[in-house]
Amino acid sequence: MSSARNHLWLALRLRELPLHVLKTDIPPERPVAVTERRVVIFCNAAARALGVTRGMDPTTARFAGDCLLVPRKRNLESAALYQLRDQLYRFTPHIALHESKEAPQSGLLLEISTCLRLFSGVRNLCDAILKYLADAGHDVRWGLAHTAPGAWLLSFAHHAPSGDETRQMFIDRLNALPVQVLYDHPGAVDTLVKMGFTTLGDVARQITSSGLTSFARRLGPQFANALAEIYAIERDFSQRSLFSAPVSTHVPVIHFEDSLSFDTPLALIEHLQPAFEHLLQNLGAFLDKRQLTCQHIQWQLSDIYQHKEIVDIRSDIPQSGWQLLYDLTLITFANRPIPFEVDALTLLCHDRQPRQDSSATLDLNGEHRQPGVSRELAATLMKLKTRLGDAALHKISYRDSLLPELSHAMIGMGEKCIQQLPRPHHKALRPTWLLPEPEEIAERNGRLYWQGRLTLAAGPERLTSHWWETSVARDYYLARRQDKQILWIFQDLHDERWYVQGFFG
Amino acid sequence: MSSPPPTLDGILHRQDVWRGRRHQGMPHTGVDSGYALLNAELLHGGWPRGTLIEICQKPFQGDWQLFLPALRVHNQGVIALLNPPAQPFSQAFIQANIDLERLLVINAPDNADFLHCFSEMARSDDCAAMLAWQPRKGLSYSNLRKCLLAATLSNAIHALFRPWAAQRESSPAALRISTKYIDNELEFFIFKQKGILRSRQPQPVRLPLPECWQAAQPYCALDHSDIARNQSAGASALNLKAGT
Repeated sequence: MSSARNHLWLALRLRELPLHVLKTDIPPERPVAVTERRVVIFCNAAARALGVTRGMDPTTARFAGDCLLVPRKRNLESAALYQLRDQLYRFTPHIALHESKEAPQSGLLLEISTCLRLFSGVRNLCDAILKYLADAGHDVRWGLAHTAPGAWLLSFAHHAPSGDETRQMFIDRLNALPVQVLYDHPGAVDTLVKMGFTTLGDVARQITSSGLTSFARRLGPQFANALAEIYAIERDFSQRSLFSAPVSTHVPVIHFEDSLSFDTPLALIEHLQPAFEHLLQNLGAFLDKRQLTCQHIQWQLSDIYQHKEIVDIRSDIPQSGWQLLYDLTLITFANRPIPFEVDALTLLCHDRQPRQDSSATLDLNGEHRQPGVSRELAATLMKLKTRLGDAALHKISYRDSLLPELSHAMIGMGEKCIQQLPRPHHKALRPTWLLPEPEEIAERNGRLYWQGRLTLAAGPERLTSHWWETSVARDYYLARRQDKQILWIFQDLHDERWYVQGFFG
Repeated sequence: MSSPPPTLDGILHRQDVWRGRRHQGMPHTGVDSGYALLNAELLHGGWPRGTLIEICQKPFQGDWQLFLPALRVHNQGVIALLNPPAQPFSQAFIQANIDLERLLVINAPDNADFLHCFSEMARSDDCAAMLAWQPRKGLSYSNLRKCLLAATLSNAIHALFRPWAAQRESSPAALRISTKYIDNELEFFIFKQKGILRSRQPQPVRLPLPECWQAAQPYCALDHSDIARNQSAGASALNLKAGT
């Protein structure tokens, strides 16, 4: 049992998390039990005093003494853990979540070996973290160890941090724990108890004498791996530490929110413009500092009467500067009246992406056009979209279908056009203009009329398709009208009617 | 501090100075139209850049035939289609070797939106050509003037398609053309070209249409009995044709 790693893990077990996240305004003296799948999984001290225990049937718990039963909210527990992880980022960037499937025991695992100097030692750091959590209203149990699962198990014991803990000290503390702390492996714990193992020390002695293989054989490789991780046992490789996974680094999600309050209510866009500019400049500095970009911002207008109006500004390409967002904001508000006199303006940006600087051809003389849509054109198109709506601008693309109306697609500016025509279409007669829907041609006395008399000039080209649903069979012709207009028409071979579908322009 | 007085050479090199018949010294900045006949008629040997070209025609009569060759040769930059009268059919443009990524369709049926889009796209350096179809309400002289001014800001081709009847209206466009189909040809007629003093009445010029658009064979040349024998599925179509 030796390792070259010098990690130091602090486990924070949130004892009352299932109840804490429910945020019920229940006085602490009121007995409360949290249930899941018709079993009590957590109860407060008042309920415990009345005899309510984990695993009890909810009906029994209710009769035990007017116990309030509330269902468990796992999603709220996860959200609370994520929030706490972001808050504890101030102490260390290496934070992992711990959620048990078998027991309502959740918490966080912090790797603190790299932060000890900053906080002047283990004691000071632990004190600072625990004080922070206590101020936030969390009931926390903690444990220190050289491994993350080891620290979690030691959170069930009570050892004050001294600052001079050694690896051997952690192993001794672990050895003193009962095997029941391995509650995530209920089957293995039962077997261990039957085999006469009472503490983890018994298990450790067995590993020292016979190795992990005997546990892997009897209790499964998963349990053996768990034991290896608790004690940081190197196996399989002569130097396993060289192959160990690095400690994950948490990057907190950062949102931008900034607001301005006005002394007097503002009703005109012209008066709001300086505020728009100021807040967007702050956003630009925020994005620049963190090397981020965003594609979506929100303006929140509010007044003292609690009226709120949220206006979304979206951009096709990620923005790191504020200028284009400012232009888009003005264009959006130019087409949208302010619904009330504004007392406060808030800028929100929840959307953020890392800035990716793509490589480009070195072009000192500016002679070569860069492929793709340039930033300037993209800005122009975004302005037009803001004014006209998303549907007003589009590109066209081919789509794999024999039917002309289905083979033509209108796609968004960000999508890629398909330009590979199947061989049968390469030299087929195709018009430059396509009608959105084929229009029926009148037929009188054996002659065709559509805004004038039509004469067939070339064809037919037969297209048959969709035999697997409603079969389509058409004969396409090039036709000339009286005024020499050239049209693309077809005869539906099922109903024998004629339709115009395109023009040769 | 006053600016130095303009020199004669400087004035003569300005593109907006009319020099009567002596336009030989002017820079040839036109974009090859792909038709020698058409290039010969145009002042700069091709479609003029940075100005407004007005084409009066009935709908769909030769719009793409006029500009496709030029757009195919100058294969860089966006081709903006402002208010097109129908959907440009993707298969036809793939066949014509036009990169679909370059084609941008903008629908702005309102006059104010149309002028805004025209100006914005004209200002963009990435726009190689703009083909615009005037809104349903029509454009006034001042609107056309705005389009012309916007077009002069860039070095691209700006074509504005207007109805046939618009020929009778006054327009500030530098080049005004009317086009129509005549049998298997596209006839175009330049009735205004800024910078050229006409000594004679301009004559219409005819450009051939693609061969595949032309009728395969005159109907009178077809053997009726062969058709009846060989084309059972298309019989009704040919019966209709016989009615003509």
